[in-house]
Amino acid sequence: MADSIFIAVTIGFFALSVAYTYGCEKLRGGRQ
Amino acid sequence: MTALATLQIAVYFGILLLITKPLGSYMARVFEGERTPLHRGLGWLERGTYRVLGVDPEKDMKWTTYAVAMLMFSLISMLFTYAALRLQGFLPLNPQHFGGKQMTPDLAFNTAASFTANTNWQSHSPDVTVSYFSNMVALAIHNWASAAVGIAIAMAVIRGFSRKSASGVGNFWADMVRGALYVLLPISIVGALMFVAMGVPQNFDPYTTVTTLEGAKQTIALGPVASQEVIKQLGTNGGGFFNANSAHPFENPSAVSSFFTVLLIWSIPAALTHTFGKMVGNAKQGWALFGAMAAMALAGAVITSAAEQAGTPHLDSAHIETAATALQPGGSMEGKEVRFGIAASALFATVTTGASCGAVNAMHDSFTPLGGLVPLFNMLTGEVIFGGVGAGLYGMIMFAVLAVFIAGLMVGRTPEYLGKKIERFEVQMAMLAALVLAASVLGFTALSSTVDLPKEGALAAVNTWPGSAYGGSDTVYGAATGNLNNGGPHGFSEIFYTYASATGNNGSAFAGITANTPWYNTTIGFAMLIGRFLMIVPLLAMAGALARKAPVPASSGTFPTDTPTFAALLVGVVVIVGALTYFPGLSLGPIVEHFRMHALATH
Repeated sequence: MADSIFIAVTIGFFALSVAYTYGCEKLRGGRQ
Repeated sequence: MTALATLQIAVYFGILLLITKPLGSYMARVFEGERTPLHRGLGWLERGTYRVLGVDPEKDMKWTTYAVAMLMFSLISMLFTYAALRLQGFLPLNPQHFGGKQMTPDLAFNTAASFTANTNWQSHSPDVTVSYFSNMVALAIHNWASAAVGIAIAMAVIRGFSRKSASGVGNFWADMVRGALYVLLPISIVGALMFVAMGVPQNFDPYTTVTTLEGAKQTIALGPVASQEVIKQLGTNGGGFFNANSAHPFENPSAVSSFFTVLLIWSIPAALTHTFGKMVGNAKQGWALFGAMAAMALAGAVITSAAEQAGTPHLDSAHIETAATALQPGGSMEGKEVRFGIAASALFATVTTGASCGAVNAMHDSFTPLGGLVPLFNMLTGEVIFGGVGAGLYGMIMFAVLAVFIAGLMVGRTPEYLGKKIERFEVQMAMLAALVLAASVLGFTALSSTVDLPKEGALAAVNTWPGSAYGGSDTVYGAATGNLNNGGPHGFSEIFYTYASATGNNGSAFAGITANTPWYNTTIGFAMLIGRFLMIVPLLAMAGALARKAPVPASSGTFPTDTPTFAALLVGVVVIVGALTYFPGLSLGPIVEHFRMHALATH
């Protein structure tokens, strides 16, 4: 159970980091 | 400061300066894809690696592709490490029979995040927790990979300035493979052999039990230390094979090995400034960054050494002689590496926190308030004083972008850096990278200073996860401040240092906090991931935007960035941004502690 939580949390963090990457790219496209 | 301390610091910086140009030029050739003498011996391995991975090293990546490749590589390697740590009881090379009981889920998360993020924070004592397999495979893989990732990101950021109207910033896989094969591997082989020659063990023997002179039984931990030690320092990783880290005689047997260690830590970060200069076509640009870093490094080493050599008023009031004489080192020797003295401990502390290394040969918790403030400040400024491999350079470039922007505002110069116009997006990304670090350090410090984990309710369940070795032990309930060795300002410094170290991917500990609890393991784990990846992404975005731009010719409004004036401005920006962001925290910790010490307060 605890292992599943930490694995899910890890995958979730990196998934959010990918979204953050494209968010930064969108900010560039939107402002220039 | 003693004459010996002055001599040690002078010799150290002299040798570092001598290394910088040849190693920096060599790395520039490696990352520009040129052939070097080592390609004759290792070229087949590079080509074979690309074939196995199915990678075309010539294929340029957009910054988003580069970032996602880096994130996916880090995710998979972190999950691999988590699994290997949790399953170490079923894996080979485990003569001490360590298993999941020692490596709890929260500790495995913390450790996997730590090594993936090039932090090597260790909430645990490795000699009683981690098997040889875990050390040599699950953790050592990150000592190489996270260092290679750091160098790769620095290369991508440099290309943002060196390329003209380009859509890509390089190939992540090629940068990583080249960094590992042509930079880290050859130096590590030579360095490991040198460590063995100095007396560092390299074996797979089980721990040895001996009888001491008093007749007691003592267990002597052994293992493949030399091969781990060299990449630990060279890759600015810092995680010790033994809990005492570089204060352990098997990791650091002599004054010579201690000096060699601090040289290893800053060798690549210092040389990368020259790589930067070469790749942007103006070596003086690299020397300007080197000068700014060296000035801050020198100031830190001198302040720490002087503060520790001055001792404390408590020693004076107890009529203890604190002057250095032929028979005693003087000053405050508490927590210092007694074999090497104050100067070697102070230099080590400055180097390890200026870089994102985190190896220690002294207990920073025992430093005087001002001596402890320097390592803390080094980490809070983003570890740009030479910094981690790659991380120090891209962190300093972030400050350079802010410096030219501020110079533009202050003296009306055109905000340009290396011929690229610095516009709104670049400043936004540089500020985002800086703010993410501050939010993590200050946010987690505030939380841990106030949180009180209830014995009942939803949070309490965190402490009783099935499979946890804690088994609902009372030690994991209550206020997080209950895990500190000290109260008052020093206790606050212990928490502040912990999250500064985690977010800055340093990994050194103030050693005054019991961090192996679900609360600290989880929050520190997040701080390390945030400090690494949420800082890298905006800097890659900045690099991607800059690479697309065509260079603008220098004009009378251009602020020259290859001069001592710019280096001084850069130091000013780093110090002022660090001071403005963290001065309230520093005031609550080491600064107030310094004044209380002079008031002879005892706690």
